Amino acid sequence: MERTIAEINEKIRAGKATVWTLAELKARLESLSIAEAARQVDVVTTGTFEPMESSGAIINLGPTDPPIKLRQCWLDGIPAYSGFGAVDLYLGAAQSLDPNSEAGEADSLRERGGGHVIADLIAGKAIPLRAVGYVTDCYPRASLETVISKQTINQFYLYNPRNLYQNFIVGVNGGDRPLYTYLGPLQPQLGNAVYACGGALSPLLNDPYLRLVGIGTRIFLGGGIGYVAWEGTQHFPLQKRLANDTPIGPAATLALIGDAKQMDPFWVRGCYFKHYGASLMLGVGVPLPVLDQEVIARCAIRDEEVVAPVIDFSIPRRVRPTFGMVNYAQLKSGKIKIEGKTVQTAPLTSLYFGQRIAEVLKDWIHSGRFTLTEPIAPLPRDRAFLPQQPWMPAASDD
Amino acid sequence: MPVTYRLAKDFNIAANIIRAQVAPNQVGKLVLELAGDIDQMEAALEWLRQQNIEVSLASREIVIDEQACVHCGLCTGVCPTQALTLHPETFQLQFTRSRCIVCEQCVAACPMEAIHTNF
Repeated sequence: MERTIAEINEKIRAGKATVWTLAELKARLESLSIAEAARQVDVVTTGTFEPMESSGAIINLGPTDPPIKLRQCWLDGIPAYSGFGAVDLYLGAAQSLDPNSEAGEADSLRERGGGHVIADLIAGKAIPLRAVGYVTDCYPRASLETVISKQTINQFYLYNPRNLYQNFIVGVNGGDRPLYTYLGPLQPQLGNAVYACGGALSPLLNDPYLRLVGIGTRIFLGGGIGYVAWEGTQHFPLQKRLANDTPIGPAATLALIGDAKQMDPFWVRGCYFKHYGASLMLGVGVPLPVLDQEVIARCAIRDEEVVAPVIDFSIPRRVRPTFGMVNYAQLKSGKIKIEGKTVQTAPLTSLYFGQRIAEVLKDWIHSGRFTLTEPIAPLPRDRAFLPQQPWMPAASDD
Repeated sequence: MPVTYRLAKDFNIAANIIRAQVAPNQVGKLVLELAGDIDQMEAALEWLRQQNIEVSLASREIVIDEQACVHCGLCTGVCPTQALTLHPETFQLQFTRSRCIVCEQCVAACPMEAIHTNF
C-alpha cells in the first residue's frame, strides 16, 4: 500500500480522504493490523499544546509620516527588538517587562511578558506603543507614541526559532529548597516531577527521523496556517535512541512561521512561571501523510516504549545529574519511583488541548480547507551540537 | 467601631483582615479570618450580631477559571491531597472540592493565573 502526497491531496479536494487523529489510530491498532490501517487511512493528525518560550512575533508597523527609524521600542512596557528594518520589530515571548521603564519597579512586579502581548494582539486588543527614533536625514522623526492593534499594523506573524520538541526531560529537585523553573515549581526532596512532552502523542516521536516533516511542511499553528521554516535552535538529531528509533531525550526541534493575524486567541496564550518568567502557550498540529505501512508502524508507538531522563535541577550546571530513565506510561500514571521513593508526576503539556488540536486539523482536512505539502528540503539528520565554552584568558602570575 | 480591637480585647480572638472595604460613615464589608477558643468565638459572633453587624460565615475555597485553564496539569503535581487530578483518559483537569485543604500550592504553580482563592 503506497500513496503520494499528490494523491492524498486529490482525495482531500474530492472530500474522500480518510483522516484519523493519532489517538484514534492508536486505539484502532488494538484490533487492526498495521497493513489494514495503512490501507484505510490517508492522513494521521497530531497536536500539541505547551509552553514554547523560544517563540516571538515579527511586526512591521508600516511607515510613519514623518518616517522613523526605531532605536528602542516598548509594547505595553515590554521591550521589542528593533535593530533591523526601520519599522520592523521582533517581540520575544519570554521578554520580561523593562525594569528601567517609566512605570519603574511596580511594573517589574507585573507577571507579564512578550507572550501576553502577542496573545493580546491576536485577541484583537489595543496595545500601547512607545518608541525612540534614531534621527537621520532619511528618518527625521525622534519619537513615536501610539496604540496599535492587529488591524492597524502592516504585518504581524509569528516566527518561532524553537518549537515542537520531539522529546524532553523530566524535572525533579533533589535539593532542600523549592526551585522555580521553566517547568514550574519543583519541590525539594523529590517533592514532584514534571514532564513536558506528550510521549506517544508527541507529534515528532511518531516520525522519529523526520521522514514526513521537512522545510515547507504546512501545519496548524496557533489556530491558523503555519509552516516549518527551518530546523529549530538546539535541533539535536544525534540524540541517543532506543531500538524503536525514538530519542531518549530532547532531540529534533522545528522553527515555525505563520500569519498571526489569522490565529485564534484560544490556541495562543501568554503564561508566566513564578520567579522564572514569561512564556507563550501555543498549539501546534502536524499532519502525517500515510505514504506507506512504515508511517503507521512508526505511529504505533506506545507510551511504554518512549522514555525521558529524570534530571535533578538542584545542580545548576549544563550537565545536571540524572536519576535514570522513565517511560511515558509511568509518567502519565501520576507516579514514578526514584531511588525507591514514590514521586508525584504532572505534565506541563496539555494532553487534552493537544488532542483537540488533532481533531481540529482533522476537520480542516475533511472539509478541504487544509491540504498537505511536500517538504521542500529535509531537516538535518546528522547535526553536531556545540555547547558554548566561554573563552578564558590564561591565568596570570600575580 | 473598632471591631478587630474589641474581638482581641474582649474575646481573645486573633483577626486577620483578608479584605476590607469600609468608607467613612458608610456601610462596608470586612472579610476576617478568626482564630481563637471555640466558645469565645461563639460569644464573639453573638456580640457582632448584637452590634447590628451582619455576619456571614465562609471558608476559603479554591476557584478555577475555566476560561483561563488550559488543562496543562502542572497544578496536579503540587496538590498534596489529589484534589486536583487529570482524567485518566481525556486528561482534562478535575477538581474534587471535598479533598481540597486550601494549601494554595496550585495558585502559585499555575502559569495561566487560572487558580485563585474566593477572597
